[in-house]
Formats: sequence, structure tokens, C-alpha cells
Amino acid sequence: MRKNRRFIIGAAIIVAAVSYLVYTGIRETSVYYLTIDEFLSKRSAVAGEGVRVAGRVAADSMRWNAGTLDLGFRLANFDNTDGVDVQYNGVLPDMFAEGRDVIVEGTYAREGVFHAKTLMTSCPSKYEAEVPHEAEAPRPAEAPKS
Amino acid sequence: MIELGVLGLRLALFAAVYATVVSVFGARRRRADLVASGRAAAYIVHGLVVLAAAVLLRALLQHDFSLEYVAAYSSSTLPTYYTVAALWGGQQGSLLFWTLILTSMSSLVHLQNRDRNEALMPYVTATMMTTAVFFLGLLVFITDPFQRLPVPAREGADLNPLLQNYWMMIHPPSLYLGYVGCSVPFAFAIAALASGRLGDVWIRTTRRWTLFAWFFLSVGNMLGGRWAYEVLGWGGYWAWDPVENAAFMPWLACTAFLHSVMIQEKRNMLKMWNMVLVLLTFTLTIFGTFLTRSGVVSSVHSFTQSGLGPYFIGFLTTVIAVSLTLVVIRRPLLRSANEIDSFLSREAAFLFNNLLLVGIAFATFWGTIFPVISEAVRGIKITVGPPFFNKVNAPLGLALLFMTGVGPVIAWRRASARNLRRAFIMPLAIGFAAGLGLFAAGVRHYYALVCFSLAGFVLTTIVLEFYRGTRARQALMGEPPVTALAHLVNKNRRRYGGYIVHIGVVMAFVGIAASAAFRIEEQHSMHPGDSVEVGGYTLTYQGIRNEDTPHTASMLAEITVARGGKVLTTMYPEKRFYKRQQQPTTEIALRTTLWEDLYLVLGSYDDQSGLMTLQVFINPLVVWLWLGGITMVLGTMIVMMPTAAEQRALAAALAVEGRAFA
Repeated sequence: MRKNRRFIIGAAIIVAAVSYLVYTGIRETSVYYLTIDEFLSKRSAVAGEGVRVAGRVAADSMRWNAGTLDLGFRLANFDNTDGVDVQYNGVLPDMFAEGRDVIVEGTYAREGVFHAKTLMTSCPSKYEAEVPHEAEAPRPAEAPKS
Repeated sequence: MIELGVLGLRLALFAAVYATVVSVFGARRRRADLVASGRAAAYIVHGLVVLAAAVLLRALLQHDFSLEYVAAYSSSTLPTYYTVAALWGGQQGSLLFWTLILTSMSSLVHLQNRDRNEALMPYVTATMMTTAVFFLGLLVFITDPFQRLPVPAREGADLNPLLQNYWMMIHPPSLYLGYVGCSVPFAFAIAALASGRLGDVWIRTTRRWTLFAWFFLSVGNMLGGRWAYEVLGWGGYWAWDPVENAAFMPWLACTAFLHSVMIQEKRNMLKMWNMVLVLLTFTLTIFGTFLTRSGVVSSVHSFTQSGLGPYFIGFLTTVIAVSLTLVVIRRPLLRSANEIDSFLSREAAFLFNNLLLVGIAFATFWGTIFPVISEAVRGIKITVGPPFFNKVNAPLGLALLFMTGVGPVIAWRRASARNLRRAFIMPLAIGFAAGLGLFAAGVRHYYALVCFSLAGFVLTTIVLEFYRGTRARQALMGEPPVTALAHLVNKNRRRYGGYIVHIGVVMAFVGIAASAAFRIEEQHSMHPGDSVEVGGYTLTYQGIRNEDTPHTASMLAEITVARGGKVLTTMYPEKRFYKRQQQPTTEIALRTTLWEDLYLVLGSYDDQSGLMTLQVFINPLVVWLWLGGITMVLGTMIVMMPTAAEQRALAAALAVEGRAFA
């Protein structure tokens, strides 16, 4: 029996180590994931903290400097009534364009600008095809979905 | 034609339900005729699913755009090999493909065991057919691959450009073979629990299947990483995305299982633990399939809300409930005959290796579902990204690497001081020397130093094993060294094949640590004629070139790569525009050496200013990750080759069980 107890202690140490790593890992690296509406309603509360926000790039808001790789755009809610200015430095993702849904991760500064460290576009799903918005192709997806 | 596919799936569902019911009933009532009928039904299910898959494949190849699936995932300009790949490129097709593999394996298992394991087989049939019922039910009632469009489309929407890549041709099938392969040991485990025959037979019968599943899970994960590396264009190969985690977690559980069964075979211990691991592995494969299809966890891959989630949850709950109930009922039979004698023993080392593997799986699981949990519990969505997974899994991974060196060479039961000295003094010395040498050479990255030291330690233990074994044979048989080495491996394929797998693991660790710790990433905006210096390379931008095919339009930047005044090569990072999908993709340019990868991405090109933005990544030693993967594959092949000794052990186990239950 004593042998078994020793073992339980050994196993408990590993379990404790894993739990500790998971706990501190989550505390130190987690970020709030908000929709643009949630973000807009409590933006001052999350100022200075890491947040991830999903929204839409507003029309005619994109300013892109190919020389310095500075990107500015307005991340708006889906009816485009409110939004926040986003600044980002880096290469444009393939799918980035005005009107696209994007996810930004970074911090919101009190002066009203969101500094994005990462910029993600949702790429079309692997498993459920988007149907093209071309004139010449009829849209199969207009069929009633089963 | 299409009706044949629809009918095939419906009949298959019916036959699978029938096979399940009569198999269980036949086993309970000891009715051989019913059991035989169940087995025949299982073969019929396989035939019908083959038929349905053939019908869908034919529709794809004939560009029958009256089918929604064909119109959504292929087009008339899509090359034929990608048209074949479209069979598993979409939701419905991938589920059908999954069912096809499952039923094929079911037939193989029934063929292999036609004259043996009479007590287990009815439950194996029932378990595999229940899984088939679930997938066939989805295909028949929820997400029909043969759904017709009200008006046939004139042209298809095409396969997602990101999937139009040769790695994507083989990555999903490989992963599916791995996933579905796990269902065979699971079926035997359930059969062992249900029939009460919890000896070694089920483990020895499924050993090769488990290896097979593990082999393809490993290959699938590696190919997925390679695909991400070449296609996604962010310079890395692993982003801890839920989809990747979905494939990684069963691999971890399966690895743990492969190791702990050795303890059961040799020492008749850890029966309960093994049972839990095999059930866990299967559960994680279903969970992984669920993750990639339900949209429950948001991912960069942005899964669609396909409405399959609840069904998967239902099936998962059933699997877990049945498994746990059976384990609890059979608990008395799962008691181990032996105990672990000492911390310093192989049993203990394997147990710790297992705990670490499961720990990594748990941390990965927790990080993956954390957003869902936090939303459910606290009402706010909190997410964790790669920093979390790296932070948690790096130390656990290094501990695991250490155990890779300890486990195979420490003595069974209780290691003597002599065994420890002989096994570990030299490896430890070399490991420390490697660490000190790198430190002296200026390496200051803490994790990388530990990783390289451990790599030195583990490699030395393995080399010593080969060396000592060869020397012993030379002395005993008078063989020349090369013959002795070849015979050594050949006579103990399982052991030395395992060592070769471990060498691959070490190589992979080195590649991961170096590319994570010493990666260089820069961005430069350039005009034609401009040069930049990155990591010792001189990159000169010559200009932009355009290429056009019916399927795609491309823009390539011509970059001359020089080092020390000598031109090495010219590279062409590319932006490719898929006309059908109206989607741009990044095609990277890669120059691989054993020392480092030079990885170029055409970030953007501005027509007005003529400015081209180049992303430059230098990934040191990353090729060793892929070479490690290949080494693991070779090692596993050696392990999988059948040996006479193993056949004898299985025959003996079957005989013992036959007597016990006669």
C-alpha cells in the first residue's frame, strides 16, 4: 500500500504542475473576445487590456500606405452606425478589404484608437462552400438548405 | 445514377442498425447464426457505402452541377486530381469519406478475425456498426451529399483555393485513416468489457491497428503542419488552431496508449489505465470531428454553423456514458496483478510519460474549449491563443523529451545503481556538454538550451543501445558490425524500430525549438533594384512578372538571393488569384537547407507607387522537423512488420483465454 501512496504523490505532482501551468497560462495570456457591439458599449472599461474584437471594415475607411505598411480603417458594427478607428502596421492579409468581416486583436487606447497587433480575416470555411458573387455563375446556394 | 447513391446510403443505414442489433442479441443468446448474420450485414454496409461514394465521385468527375455538392466544391476547370480530392473537400463528402474508411476497416477486421475471437467479434461488429449508424444517419437525414439543386448550375463554385495543394490531397485521407483507425482498438476494448474477456487478447489483437492509427495520425499531423507552412504564408507550421488541436489530442492519447500497453503486456499492470486511454483516444477523435464541423469554437478557419453540433454532442455523450458504465461494471476484472515497485523503474517512467502526454492533451483541450466554458460560466467570452499553448506545453514537452531518454533504458521493477550508471552517466554527460557548448557559443535562449541538451541526452541513450546491442552480437555470433546491426534491428523490430521513432521525435523537437527560438521575421517595402540584408542574405528585388492560366492569374516578384557576394538562387514569391472564387492566395517561395529555411512572401504590391512589400522569414533547422517526421514514419514501419515472436504471444494469449472460458 505504501508503494501505491508514493505513486499517487508522484502522479499528483504532475497533475498539480499541469494545473498550475494551465491556470497561470490562462491568467497571463487570455484576452476578451468581443463582438463589435459589445466592445463599443464597454470600450472605456477594457481600455489598456488585451481584447479581440470581431467586426466589419467600414466602406471608404481604409487608408493604406504601401511604403510604411501603415494601415488605418474603421471597424464598424454591422449596420455601420458606430465604430472604432483601428491602426495596424504590417502586411495586408489576402482577404482584407472594405466590407469584409475581420477580427482584430490588440489594445484600445483611451484617446479612441484601437492598436491592432494582429489582423485576421475569416477565410471561407473548409467545409461549407461560399458561393461566388459572379454574374456569370448562378448561385447554387440559393437552393433551400436541407 | 444519383438515386443509386441515395438508396445505397439508406440501405446501408438500415443494414448497420440490423448488424448492431443481431450481433448483440446473438452474443447474448449464444446464437451463432445471428452473429454470422450480423457479420454478413457489416460486409453489406461496406459494399453499399462504397457504392454511394462511387456515385458521388462519378458525379464529381462528370461535373454534374445539378448536385449541390458538386456545384459547391468543384468546377469544370478544376484539375482532375483536385476534383477527386473534392470528395473529401466539403462537409457532406468528408462525412461520406469517413464512413467509407470506417466500413472498409470494419470489413478488414472481420476478415482478419473470421476464425478467432469468437467471443469478442459480435461486440466488435456492434460497436463499429453503431459508429457507422451515427455517420450514416447524418448523411441520410441531416446533411445529404446527394442534395439536388432546384435548377442545375451551369458552373461550379470550385474547391477552396487553399485546398488546391498537393499536401491537401493526402493530408485529410491520412488524418481520417488515423482517426478511424482508432475505432478498431476502441471496438475491441468495448467488446472486451462487454464480454468480460479482459485478458491480453484484445490488446494483442489490436496492437497493429493501434500502430496503424498512430502512424496515420502522425503522418496526418505532419502533413497538416507542412500544408500550413507552405500555403498559409505566415512563416510557421503550427498555430494551435482548434482544427490542429483536434488532430493533435487523439495523437497524444494514442501515443500514451501505445506506451502503456507495453506495461500491461510485460507486467500485467495498468489494465484500467489502458482501458481508459483507448476509450479516451476514440472519444477525442469524435470530439475532433465535432470541433471541425460544429462551429462551437471560433477559429481562424471560421467554421460554418452547420447544425451538426447537437448530433455530435449526443453521440459523444452516448460513447462516454456507455464506456464509463462498462468500465465501472467490470472494475473487478481490471485490477492489476502487480504493483509498481519503485520510482526508478521502467514502469514508473512509462507511467510518468503517460501522465505528461495526457497532461499536454488536457492543457490543449482546456485551451481549445476555454472560450465556450468561460462564456457559459461567466457570460463573457475569453479566448487564449498560441502564447497559452506554448507557455503550458513547452515545459511539459521538455519533460516528455527527458522521459523519452529514460523510459526505454531504465530497468524493469527496480533499477539498480549499476543499471543507472551504465545507462545514464554518459548520456547525461553528453547532454550537459551539449548545453554548455551551446551556451559558450552564445546561445542564451533558455528553452532552446534545455531542449538541445535533452536532445543530446536522449540521442546518446539510443546510440548506446544500438552500439551495445551490436557489440554483443559481434561477440556472440562473430558477425561483422554492419551485419550485426542489421540482425539486431531485424530480430527486435519492435524495440529498435521504437528507438528509430524516438530519434525522429528528437529531430522534431530540435527543429521546433530552433525555429521557435531563433526565427527571424522582417518586412521590407522595395522598388525594383532595391536590396535588403536579412540574416546574412542579400535579397534584391528585380521586378514583378504576371502569369495567366484559365484557372488562375498570378503576380510574381523576382528576388535574387545572394550570400557573401555570391548569387545563390532566384526566388519567386507569388500572389495568385483564383478566378472562379475571386480569391487571392499567397504562394510562398522557399529555399531549404539543412541549416535553415529562407521563406519569402509577396506581402503586397502597389500599382501606383510600384512598391512591393516582401516578408522575409528565416526559420533555422526547421527541416529537421520534417526529417524527424519521415524518420518516425520509417521507424513505425519497422515496428509494424509482424514478427514470429509476436504471433506466438498472440496465439498463446488466445489459447489461455480459450481454456479459461471453455
